[in-house]
Amino acid sequence: MFKNEEMEINLGPQHPSTHGVLRVKLHLDGETVTKCTPIIGYLHRGVEKICENQTYFQGQVWTDRMDYVASISNNLGWAEGVEKLFGIEVPRRAKYIRTMLTEQNRLASHLLWLATHALDIGAMTVFLYAFREREYLLDLFEAFCGARLTTTAFRIGGLREDLPPGFIKSAQAFQDRFLPCIDEYEELLTENRIWKKRTVGVAKLNAEDCIALGVTGPVLRAAGVPYDIRKAFPNAAYAEMDFEIPTRPEADTYARYLVRLAEMRQSHRIIQQCIEGLPEGPVMAKIPKILRSEVNEVYHPIEAPKGELGYYFVGEKGGTMPYRMHVRAPSFVNLQALSKMTEGRLLADVIAAIGTLDVVLGEIDR
Amino acid sequence: MPTMNLTQTMVMGLIQVVAVLILIFVMVPLLTFAERKVIGYIQVRLGATRTAGGHVGITGALNRGMWAMGKVPMLSILRGLPVFVADILKLILKEDIIPAKAERSVFTLAPIISVLAAFGVFSAIAFYPGALFTFPARFPIVGGLPFMGFISDVNVGVLYILALSSVGVYGIVLGAWASNSKYPLLGGLRSAAQIISYEVPLTLSLLTPVLLAGSLNFKDLSVRLSTGADMHWLAIFPLFVGFFVYTTCGFAETNRTPFDLPEAETELVAGFHTEYSGMKFGFFYLAEYTNMIVVSCFASAFFLGGYYLLPFGLQRFIPASVPFLGQPSILFFFLKVFTILFAFLWVRATVPRYRYDQLMDVGWKYLLPLTLVNLFAAALIRFAF
Amino acid sequence: MTEPIDPQAPAMPEAPTGPYVYDYMAAPNRQVVLPKTVPLPSLRTYQAEVVTAAAADEAKWQKQLADFEVAKAKAEVEGKDAPKPPVRAVPRKDDNDLKTPWPTEAKDADLLKLQELLGDKVEEIFEQAGERVCQVKKEAVLEALKVCRDAASLKYEMLADQSATHYPAAKDFAFSIVYHLTSVSRCQRLRLRILVPEGFIPESACSLYPSANWMEREIYDMLGIRFANHPDMTRILCPEDWEGFPLRKEYPTVGLGQRDIDFRDDRGGVLNRLAMEKAGQMGINLKQPKAD
Repeated sequence: MFKNEEMEINLGPQHPSTHGVLRVKLHLDGETVTKCTPIIGYLHRGVEKICENQTYFQGQVWTDRMDYVASISNNLGWAEGVEKLFGIEVPRRAKYIRTMLTEQNRLASHLLWLATHALDIGAMTVFLYAFREREYLLDLFEAFCGARLTTTAFRIGGLREDLPPGFIKSAQAFQDRFLPCIDEYEELLTENRIWKKRTVGVAKLNAEDCIALGVTGPVLRAAGVPYDIRKAFPNAAYAEMDFEIPTRPEADTYARYLVRLAEMRQSHRIIQQCIEGLPEGPVMAKIPKILRSEVNEVYHPIEAPKGELGYYFVGEKGGTMPYRMHVRAPSFVNLQALSKMTEGRLLADVIAAIGTLDVVLGEIDR
Repeated sequence: MPTMNLTQTMVMGLIQVVAVLILIFVMVPLLTFAERKVIGYIQVRLGATRTAGGHVGITGALNRGMWAMGKVPMLSILRGLPVFVADILKLILKEDIIPAKAERSVFTLAPIISVLAAFGVFSAIAFYPGALFTFPARFPIVGGLPFMGFISDVNVGVLYILALSSVGVYGIVLGAWASNSKYPLLGGLRSAAQIISYEVPLTLSLLTPVLLAGSLNFKDLSVRLSTGADMHWLAIFPLFVGFFVYTTCGFAETNRTPFDLPEAETELVAGFHTEYSGMKFGFFYLAEYTNMIVVSCFASAFFLGGYYLLPFGLQRFIPASVPFLGQPSILFFFLKVFTILFAFLWVRATVPRYRYDQLMDVGWKYLLPLTLVNLFAAALIRFAF
Repeated sequence: MTEPIDPQAPAMPEAPTGPYVYDYMAAPNRQVVLPKTVPLPSLRTYQAEVVTAAAADEAKWQKQLADFEVAKAKAEVEGKDAPKPPVRAVPRKDDNDLKTPWPTEAKDADLLKLQELLGDKVEEIFEQAGERVCQVKKEAVLEALKVCRDAASLKYEMLADQSATHYPAAKDFAFSIVYHLTSVSRCQRLRLRILVPEGFIPESACSLYPSANWMEREIYDMLGIRFANHPDMTRILCPEDWEGFPLRKEYPTVGLGQRDIDFRDDRGGVLNRLAMEKAGQMGINLKQPKAD
């Protein structure tokens, strides 16, 4: 008479809290998730194939469209990867400016994460508080390169132009007002009982699993592994910067929240150092108008806000376009951990897990 | 009160009912507007401003003048006020979709049950214990009759209200089931579990004032509690605890943050009303906001002193001879109602949402024992002192 | 993440038996220019190239000298002024900051250790652009990965990335598959590379590195390389019924019916629409119309 039936439910691809067109196939026993299968590919545009048919200069534009909330990080990875392929040394001033913008973009990305993650869990106000500061950052990007999201901020060999007049002043103004803002978010969430109830011990992923699944970024650092590419394989001007890698041992959603907030403070520190120590000089290396590569193969990882963003280039002899371009997208690899994090837990925890992984579908599907 | 014949009774009843309905239909849209504005201001934004009488007419000229001077118009708090009219128009004019595989009759019935249960409660709520005014004698039929602050003076009003407000959940559950869709079903299950769980501490917490005052009649209860007649001063403590438990359960009963699981939009898309649109959705919406008003009326009447100024029976320190502050007034009642409604909005903008199992924990593990202890304390105070 | 194969998932496509035979070139307006070189970085190839180039340079110089001698002798016979002696051309130095990273001998301890542990299974080790590359035999990839992960002095715990490249011009292989390994504890990186021919099914790395799951699915999806012992060898980014493997070099970048007609001749789009109708597709899916 009674039969025990599992409900199969599709979370997405159109759903308020899957952060894009992620589809998660859930098997539910009541509210308990027995099986969780992420299904991706709804935003696949074939960026890798397109970039094989674009020159090294043109291809960067496509990287904006991958992780569209952290496009400057993507630009940095592309530019540095190509520079590594050709052996170009970038002027020091350009490195500093790149570092500063990338860190500002990390702030913007983390703010967007905080906003949406809190909204997913039901805390609505943090969303707008975080967007308030993010607007300021986007205005800075617009002042620098004319675009708020799809920035294409850097050029191969350096920067197209130096900082616009007044940029440093505005950036400093943001620096001055930003730290109290983080305190404001913390006031709303860090000691909030419901927030803690919803996040402490939820979606745990310990260090061994993280490493086995290739999970990087704040998720790995919240599992107690101090692995940050900015320190491990310093790129841009990170070697000259003084900052710490925040880690937490708990490996749960709350720890990731704390790690990301601490990272925001560290990014703030790095930006301050960039502003204060900005060297004079040119911003562009001397490179030919047309880049023709030799047979070469490079993999260049950088620390994107979501984790390790790697660009793999294969250059052809005399080729102006990459023979092969592959993106190691952090969200793509991190999302594999979703099943492990959520199976056996409740439906609401799936939402928290998707939020805490901080996935961007543009990057996963490419 | 002069005795009334049948016609007079019926006409008076009709007038009272229409008056209360008008009250509801004015308060609910205003509440939605207030929600936009209050949450907007908490979240460092302006809330609804677009649908504004801000571009034409006198206010429009003022607004444009202020914008021209580079200032945000001071009238901006009222900008967007017409949005509630727009809201209602939108709901009425929208296409009313019934999914092909839905159970048509139940699907239609569900919002009606919800909204009727919510409205029916008002028949026993007293906004004022006595007559608000008397109709002048020149009026036909009702001339010389008092206009009371309540529709009917039911002896077991509290019981009636509790019974009727429990019916509301049927609307939600039936609507969820009739949608024949997965997200609404989950929302309906959550709703059923949640409302049944919270019904218990809610009722028990209402028993505290009932026990202390010894009445089930809405206005008698309220008046006795506020004036503190034959109540020991210690009764303030169980009343205080009861107030918090009642408000908490009230949040849960009305599906408001942090207990908005049945319609948790980031989890269940829109919960039980995912498949609803147009005026059917509007009915659910209306029921939810009406329930908020009901909960506020209850908390106001039983715990916050009702028609008197001071809450928790502290009114005894103001003698009845004091002209305005010592007398009952409908203003005090609505002041408290609006305060609690504001708290509803404030909480929504502040806290995250509970998870399903935690919600059950809060209900059964904390609130229920607390109310039982509280009830025992109330009984002790009532009979020992 | 080793989840069992979903019974509802579409059946796994059959492995191509021989060389991949899908004929894209037959479709109109989808002519693809296949690459003619094999840009596979390799120290051995580079050294051979350097030797060849030096020999060619030397031969050219010798020819110039010989020509000069001949010309001189001829001038002496004719009694004219002796021609100018030739100057050996130095390579033109470009005025730019490019310092092309050439492959160099492997001096790194990790690479030498790996060669010592794997012996003759290693085909080549070298360094380029500051990155370590180790090419192993295609059958021994799992063993090599295991050594990389477990050997006490290597400890490459994380498979950061895995991708493949198509080399249609190569003779004895068709794809290179690269594994980018990271040692989180030692902060080191290593690229493991295998070369596989068409139709070869390499071992999946999922048993050692669970992160390989999706990466291998992506490689299958994009290049059509199937992996043995993979828990769920299905397409991941493209739909299940997609035909062809997009990142192969013979895959066209233009779809059926797409931009057949120059838009300058067809402002209203009538011709374009007719072409699309004729093609039967909107240029979205690459399914070919079936011939009778």
